[in-house]
Formats: sequence, structure tokens, C-alpha cells
Amino acid sequence: MGRELKAYAWRALGFFLVLELMLAGAILMFPNFEGKMGSLRAMAPLESLRSMIDQLEEGGIAAYVVGQHFFKGCNTLGSAAAVLFACPAIAGEAQRGTLELWLARPVSRTRLLLERFAFGWLALGIPILASSLSVPWLLARIGESMDVGPLVWCSLHQTLLLGAFYAIAFAWSACGRNPVRIAFVMLFLLTAEFAAYLIMQVTHYSVFRLADIDDFMRLVDGAGLDPWICGSLTAVQLAALGFAIWAFRRRLPA
Amino acid sequence: MSTPSAGIAIDGLSRRFGEHVALAPLSLTIRAGELVGLLGPNGSGKSTLLRMLVGLVRPSAGSARIAGVPLAGDGLAVRRVATFAPGEIALYGEWSAHAQLDWLLRGRERAAFPRARAIAERLGLPLRAAVRSYSHGMKRQLLLAAALAPDVPVRLLDEPTEGLDPTKRGEVLALLREDRATGRTLLLSSHHLGEVDAACTRLLFLSTGRCIADEDARSLEQRAASLLRLRFPSDAQRISDALARVGLSAARTWQAPGEDGHTWVSCRLEGSDPRPAFARLSATDLPAPSAVQHGRLSLTELYHELYGVEGV
Repeated sequence: MGRELKAYAWRALGFFLVLELMLAGAILMFPNFEGKMGSLRAMAPLESLRSMIDQLEEGGIAAYVVGQHFFKGCNTLGSAAAVLFACPAIAGEAQRGTLELWLARPVSRTRLLLERFAFGWLALGIPILASSLSVPWLLARIGESMDVGPLVWCSLHQTLLLGAFYAIAFAWSACGRNPVRIAFVMLFLLTAEFAAYLIMQVTHYSVFRLADIDDFMRLVDGAGLDPWICGSLTAVQLAALGFAIWAFRRRLPA
Repeated sequence: MSTPSAGIAIDGLSRRFGEHVALAPLSLTIRAGELVGLLGPNGSGKSTLLRMLVGLVRPSAGSARIAGVPLAGDGLAVRRVATFAPGEIALYGEWSAHAQLDWLLRGRERAAFPRARAIAERLGLPLRAAVRSYSHGMKRQLLLAAALAPDVPVRLLDEPTEGLDPTKRGEVLALLREDRATGRTLLLSSHHLGEVDAACTRLLFLSTGRCIADEDARSLEQRAASLLRLRFPSDAQRISDALARVGLSAARTWQAPGEDGHTWVSCRLEGSDPRPAFARLSATDLPAPSAVQHGRLSLTELYHELYGVEGV
């Protein structure tokens, strides 16, 4: 277990470093961005992007932070991380032929599966939380500030959305044997969903509507987690995990 | 060892993959302390049987008890009393052999790891090296070290000596015999007749999912006694015809390498006494045999008798 945990820890560290670099770059660029908001609005090719710039202008530094860090950084990079952490979890073992050895040890299949699921979920969630906790320190560099509390709620909300993507990819991995194919299909679907968010006519069909600047600003304003959204995302994760356990317990290693 | 008294009891165990019968209903008992060889051509059901016994393949019907533990669910309870070394080798190449051993022994008692390390060192495996630097045979030995180390009453080994050179094969067979001497039950599959002959106390022959023979040393002796092997300085056709004329049937004829002009023939006797056959032989026009063997049956012979093909 230690070696597998270490492998996930490295993935988490890599994800954190990329997130943190993106966040630091975005925050340190804020003074420059703030001064050019009018020009950026004029240049924006899509109505949705112009509306987003309006949101940033109205919400100030908090809207800018949640927009850059959660909506842009976590939703894009995090979706990729969720898929890439989940796809090889079981299908990767089947592909490399180690599934039989993995299952031949005196450890229950349910336990093996839950361990992998938990390691991947934490490798996804911890970097989001850790990078979010660095926001106040980074904001202090440019003379701005933000409370930690809302950032924790935003991290949790974001992790629940990415966790749902992760759980679906994980469930597929539990019954598949080609991690690359699973990753390609999942990334294609998520990219299409993100693109749909930017098109006004279909934006409300995008799953990223569940974690956009409006949602995060409600959390920043102290509204607390939306029980419907968070409950639904948790339910999706539990359903996908339940399916994964069911499929994995019936799976033949060969 | 927790329950050394119990071996393996299989009752009507079978497995189908759609229309294909991987293993027809099989019932047998392997007593504690037996070292049993599972022989048969490719696709005969050897690996399927071994995998079923550790819960890696679900049986279509039947039941089994390993060291008194019933095979149920995903086989977790059985895997606690039995180790399994798979036939197909796939390891984590980027890990060191030391780390791979540690991983393989997850769920086993703490003392299993030093034992596995000692076995690996006895086999000359460099444990600090990355697994990807290992040859096929070294990987096989690493798996075997992990399968032989835990203190469990039963070991199931799929092709444990496949890919090993003769020296290593001998060392591995010695390890298996030592393990058996401690009262453990070992069931191994193999294509190498010579090694099985040397190490096993009992042989099970599988063919297209069916057990077609169950031999121990005594039954092998009886079979051997009914077989007479002769070498003539003549050709196969002439020998077969001459033997047929006096009522002796040539079960098989073959030419040994480097024995040009000579042909071996094996005849089945009606009993174990070869004298009546010699009396008939004297009535033929064949030259005197240049070599005679009786009472010895190689596994290659037995393999040929059962499958109609040469053993390997």
C-alpha cells in the first residue's frame, strides 16, 4: 500500500505545483489585468466571455480569484487530472497484466478498490485545497486580501464536481482494460462540455454551470454549500463508486 | 503453519466460457503433504483450475475446499491459506525487486518477507536491481520466492519452472521438495515432463478440460510393467509387420537420435511378465533386439499413451 500511496502523492504534488504556478501567475498579474479590463471586454469574441469580464469587474478581486483559480484552473486542469488519475486505476493494471497478481494477494477486492479510489480522490482534492489556502498569502503580495473560510468552501465545492468526473472515469476503469481509450473519451466529453459553457445558446446544458463564477461568488458571499448541487454531485460519486465495486467484484483478471 | 492436515478437496468443479468448456466437472482429493503435478497440453484447463482454486476465476459449478476452507465469494478466505504463482509474468518494471517482493507479500505475516528474501538470495536474485532489468527466468523466480515464503498449508504454482535454465530448474525443484517435506500441499502445473517426474508424488493429466488420468508412483509402476521396449537394427514397417504376424502389437515405434538404422518399438503386454512376448518374438524373422527395456515407463511414454503426442 505504501508504494501505491507514494505514487499518488507524487501525482498530487505535480497537480498542486501546476495549480499553484497558474494561481500565482494569475494573482500577480491582477494589477495589470484590472487596468486593461475595458480593452479585454472589447476584444472578447464571445458574449459569454464579455459577461464573464463583467462579473469580474463587479466582483473585484474575489471574483477574479475564483474565476482564475476555480473556474479556469481547476475546471480545466482539474478535469484532466481527475480523468488521468482514474483511468489507469484498474484498467491500467489489466492492460499491463498485473491485475491477476494484484488480486492474488489475500486482500479483499472491495478494500483494494476503495483504497485506490480514496488515494486518487485525495490526490485530486488536497492540491485544490492546498493551493486555495495559499491565496491570502499571494494576495498580500499585491496589497489585496481574502478570507480563508470561503476559499475552503469553494475548494470543497470544486472537489465535489471534479470528484464526480473522477468517479465516473474510475467506474469505467473498473470494468475496462484500455486506459488510454477511456481517457480520450472522457477528456473529449469534458472538453465538449467546457466548450458548451462558452456558447450562450447551450451554456445551460454544460455541467460546468455547476461550478462557475456565480456559484463560487455565492460561497464567497457566505451563502454556504448548495445542498442540491453538492448532494447531487455526491450522489453521482457514490453511485459510480457502487457500480465500480459491483463490476470489480465480478471481474476476471485475464 | 495453520492447518497442515488439510489438502485440497474438489467436488464437481467446472468452468465454461460461453460454449467453450475450460474445465469439465472435476472431483479429486489431494492429501496434505502431496506434491501434485498437473500435466496437459495448452488449453487443457490447468491454469483455469489453479486460478479457480484461488478465486481468480469463478467456477460455473461445483465446490472446493483448500486446507479445509471453502472456496466462496471472491476467494479471499482461500487466499489466506494458499499462495498462488501465476503462469503469466507481469510485474512493475520500475520498482526494485525488493519493493516488488514487499508488494507481493501484502496481507501475509511479517516473517514472510525475510523468508522470501532468503529464498531470492538462495536463487541468486539481485533484490536491489529494478525488476525491468530482470530476465524472464529471474522474474519467474521472484514470483516463486513470494509464493513459497508465506506460512500457509497450500501452494498453487502455475508453470513454476517455465523459462528457467536447467540449473535453476533443479534449484527450484529442490525448494519445492523441501517445502513438501514440511507437510505443505503443492499443486503445480507444468509442460516439462522430466521435472514433474522427478519432483511430484502424483500426476494429474488434463486434456480439453477433462482429467484423463490420475497416476501415482504405484500406478505408474503397473503401467510400466505392461510395456516392453525393444531396439532392432531394422526399419519400423518391417518390425510392425513381423510383430503383428505373431500377435504382438507395436504401440509405438520411433528412432532415437544418433541411432541410424535402429528402431525402437514399444509393445503392450497382456500382463506384467514379458516371457510370453519373447517366446513369440523368437518365431519372427526379425534380428535379435540390440536393447531391451522392461519395467520402466518414462513420462514421455505416458504422455504419448494418453495424448498420442510426444511430451516436452
